[in-house]
Amino acid sequence: MEPFADFAPPPHVTDDDLSVVVRRAQRGDTVAMSSLLARLTPLAARVCGPIADADGPDATQETLIAVFRNLRSLKDPSACQGWVRAIAVREAVRLAKRAARTVPVDPGERLDRIPSRRDIEQAADVSDVLARLSPEHRAVIVLRDVEGLDESEAAELLELPVGTVKSRLHRARDNFRKAWGV
Amino acid sequence: MTPNWPVADFDPVRRLRVLAAGISGAVVAERAIPVPFDRLWRIVSDLEHELGTFEVDMRNITLREVDGRLEAHARGRLGFRARFDVQLESGWCWMQSRFLLIGIAAVPARGGTLVAATGGFRLPGRAALFPLGVGRANAHALVRLARRAAEPDRTGPGGAGEE
Repeated sequence: MEPFADFAPPPHVTDDDLSVVVRRAQRGDTVAMSSLLARLTPLAARVCGPIADADGPDATQETLIAVFRNLRSLKDPSACQGWVRAIAVREAVRLAKRAARTVPVDPGERLDRIPSRRDIEQAADVSDVLARLSPEHRAVIVLRDVEGLDESEAAELLELPVGTVKSRLHRARDNFRKAWGV
Repeated sequence: MTPNWPVADFDPVRRLRVLAAGISGAVVAERAIPVPFDRLWRIVSDLEHELGTFEVDMRNITLREVDGRLEAHARGRLGFRARFDVQLESGWCWMQSRFLLIGIAAVPARGGTLVAATGGFRLPGRAALFPLGVGRANAHALVRLARRAAEPDRTGPGGAGEE
């Protein structure tokens, strides 16, 4: 190592405002990047876990790598969480499809009973039931019932028409209920 | 009833891979070290006494807390001085000065501990490292850490062997 004095104080992350941390991270402060990563990880893990199942850790890692490689392209720091959520859904669905663990549901058995959000919340082991749904159906259920987005917000995030999201949610809950055995 | 939604695991080694991916020129070295996590991390986290045993350019490290944040002042083998911002928690050590970056992560693994390291010379003001030799330097640091972990515990003031 070459000798050089190194006492110029770098910026510190003390502000709780996520936007401030994002801006500091965008300027190349790796401590701010580390703090930002700690804040975004729960969101990515919460979205990727139910959608990607056993590939959840890989999907979370791929999501966050995409986030940090493209962080400087994020123009509005206040949109950071929505941006991360969209990447997480995309990566989780991609890895879930690649794993090809989806068990197709007979289309003829879809439309008898529609489980409510309450039905889903009462499932003892959600993972087992989610594993029987397609990745796209899992994504819609997660956005509505885990992330609390309404159908318009979910449609915007998935870049789909609202009608398609409503239809997927209907089928997803139907399949969920069948898989759960109610 | 609270739903039992699955949440993906995300360990410190994955965290290091992600951060390194966001830093131009950064390379991650990984090594399985056949030592229990608790012992290994006791060595790594004892920065004042142990960092120089595996990051050989670092000497005379002193830590202090300033406004709830951890700072390290270090003097290098060749005489440079650096003030680092430090994040130190179980399985995670991230140190940034104006010109240097050191990142170490560890997670329990079968037969011991998986350790990952990244870092090197920073390009000031950017999330970027001078790319020359960083992979080799980090891999060598982990070789030295493995060698140090295989030695008996050191006793004495502040040594990693003390509980």
